[in-house]
Amino acid sequence: MGQLGKDPQHNTFSLWQMTSIITSTLIGVGILTLPRTTTEKMLEAGWLAPILGSIFAFFVIWLIAVLSRRFPGLTFIQYSPIVWGGHEHSRLGFWLSLPWILIFIGVLFVSTAITSRIFGEVVVTAVLQDTPLEVIIVSMFVLAVFLCLHELDTLARVNEILFPLILFPVLFIAFASFQKAEWNNILPLIRVPLKTAIMGSFETSYSFHGYEIMLIFFAFAHGDTGKVKAGFYGIGISVFVYTLIVLAGIVVFGYEELQKVTWPTLELVKTTQVPGLILERLESAFLAVWVAAVFTTVANGYYALIYSLRQLLKKGMLFQRIASIVLVIPLFFVAIRPQNIVEIFNVTTFLGYTTVWISVVSPLIHWLIMLYRDRGRRTEKRSDAHG
Amino acid sequence: MAKGRVSVCCLLLFLMMSLLTGCWDRRELEERTSVIAIGIDMVEGKKNMYKLTVQIPIPIKIAGSSGQGGGGNKDAVKIMSVTGKTVVDASNNLQQRLNQRIFLGHTRVLAISEEVARRGIDDIIDAFRRDPQIRRLMWPVIVQGKASDLLEMKPGLIQIPVVFLMDLIENGTKMGIIPDQTMGEYLIQTSNETMQPMLNYVKAYKDDVKWKGVAVFRGQKMVGSLNDIQTWPLLQLRDEKRGGDVVVPLPGTKGGYVAFRPHFVTTKLKMNGSHAAGQKHHNGHAVTYFCEVQGDIVEMTQKPQGSPEEVIRMLQKLFKEEMEKRARKMLDILQNQYNSDILKLGLALRGHHYNDYWRHHNWFKDFKEFPIDVKYTVKLRRLGMEMH
Repeated sequence: MGQLGKDPQHNTFSLWQMTSIITSTLIGVGILTLPRTTTEKMLEAGWLAPILGSIFAFFVIWLIAVLSRRFPGLTFIQYSPIVWGGHEHSRLGFWLSLPWILIFIGVLFVSTAITSRIFGEVVVTAVLQDTPLEVIIVSMFVLAVFLCLHELDTLARVNEILFPLILFPVLFIAFASFQKAEWNNILPLIRVPLKTAIMGSFETSYSFHGYEIMLIFFAFAHGDTGKVKAGFYGIGISVFVYTLIVLAGIVVFGYEELQKVTWPTLELVKTTQVPGLILERLESAFLAVWVAAVFTTVANGYYALIYSLRQLLKKGMLFQRIASIVLVIPLFFVAIRPQNIVEIFNVTTFLGYTTVWISVVSPLIHWLIMLYRDRGRRTEKRSDAHG
Repeated sequence: MAKGRVSVCCLLLFLMMSLLTGCWDRRELEERTSVIAIGIDMVEGKKNMYKLTVQIPIPIKIAGSSGQGGGGNKDAVKIMSVTGKTVVDASNNLQQRLNQRIFLGHTRVLAISEEVARRGIDDIIDAFRRDPQIRRLMWPVIVQGKASDLLEMKPGLIQIPVVFLMDLIENGTKMGIIPDQTMGEYLIQTSNETMQPMLNYVKAYKDDVKWKGVAVFRGQKMVGSLNDIQTWPLLQLRDEKRGGDVVVPLPGTKGGYVAFRPHFVTTKLKMNGSHAAGQKHHNGHAVTYFCEVQGDIVEMTQKPQGSPEEVIRMLQKLFKEEMEKRARKMLDILQNQYNSDILKLGLALRGHHYNDYWRHHNWFKDFKEFPIDVKYTVKLRRLGMEMH
């Protein structure tokens, strides 16, 4: 059981690598629309939404880390049957765990496709207006496939290298735009009813989706330490970046204007001037760097997807390589399925809801069952000792 | 082994070929027509037709100017006019008369005639809002008279006429005497319920252009304008910009004048009114702008009587009263004539008095009844290079 996970070459993810995997997976296309989506319900208080919404994410990443700590070296795909069936009934466990695994894979599949589609939309509207959408999506997939041809440690290193490249431009834009801030825009601090605020934050929590890939990647942590810490660091950094960018959007534009623009963060970049006019029209530069952010989101998702399939079918590296190439074809068709921007945003909202539920409910159920089993085993042992 | 090498070679070749496709839809600079300014007028005699005038720089004329010398600025730009039902319709008509594709990414000025502005410009702005090429940092201006006049002027100092206007506005905003009203600001002001938009108001002459103040909007319709002297207190109260020099007759002299140049302006907005919930009516809601101006005397055509201390005290009082008078005049026009809050006062009120004031009032209507007061404090710092 679980020979793959026990392979010594795999257990190499450092704390920093895991942190950067989480952060760079979370920060992706969502960052461009976040100021609009958060202020839709929460109005001026939109910047509170990422903070409140992250409570979910922190809880779930903690659950995932705890599960992973209980089954060191095993991925979700491997420990889910054990949780459901125990070591005795492995067949039963397999069938009971299959729906959870398939939902996990399915959500990863669709969200990866939609992420690359949104990426394509932004590039087509903002920079390369005559390039076909398909070309942009396919070239993103080619990069993802290329990463999937390699082992896991490559993925970790790629994330580690791209991490600062993702973080700093966003931070720079946020801080640079504060010079145009109109601070009255965030007042009154709270005017929406509490219920709306909670709903709004809940909707924001889907901008944190992506951390569920740690169901797979936590298995490859170096030793057994720092999983919870890595999870908290990773999500903490994302919360900071999200809050800052939403705050910048609100104080510069005001929530009403934010509702009217499709890509608020891109508009923020457009209005930002570095003093002295050294840098104007930053949006092309910003988008060029932002490609890295989307790449890590798409590629990490796709890698997790392919790796799950490989473990589910108990295959080797060759299967991973072939599958990553073959699966691009259906992925592409899912990506180009939504007809227009409105449909895409509908899909992301729907996906957001389902991901929140799945990423909360699935680890929670696994954790509860695990607790129940562990307790059962403990009482068993105790009665053994008595007898 | 050999087979593997061949396939690797093929793969490499394929990868390299894919790199070559990078610029398949490239456009050289001279292969597109960069529009630097757009002017929008009504078509005379027709109701729903717009006349779009564009100014297109001719790169060769500009690049070669230093080498060839002379040449004049007559040919450095091409000016074209087309008509259409909407902005996009007109620009399509324009495209049919141009050999290269129109590129709006370098458009710096959008001139709208007063006639169009008074009809409302929401339908015009929509096209500019959607186009990803348009910069939020471009300058929309309202032109007294015809917008095409602005594009056709020949300032002589600079090859591209519109750059003249652009520099004029940009330098003015840097000096703090012209409001920094970019496209982005305008868009924000139109979508925000607490404020009304304004735009710079200019008049074009045959060979230059004059900044005349700001055009005040209500909704997206222009309702009137403030002249330069009325705009400066607005800048001081709203943006803490310094505004222009204040020139007033010097009391106690015959025909003497004194000029005061503000340098630093700090404005505090004091809001009165109770925070207590449940009270329905005004309850003494009122605001007072406390504006402290530090500045120098830059001109005094005749010498006043008295010791220097007395003169300074007298001058401070003089300018305080003059600037308060100007600010009150400006507020009076905004409240009673136009009923348009371009002060961003509503934003502050919504922020600080949401429950006790904002929820019970419709600012769009009630702005005109809101009590606003202004208190200036003038601090004379220097008298220039001359004593007394």
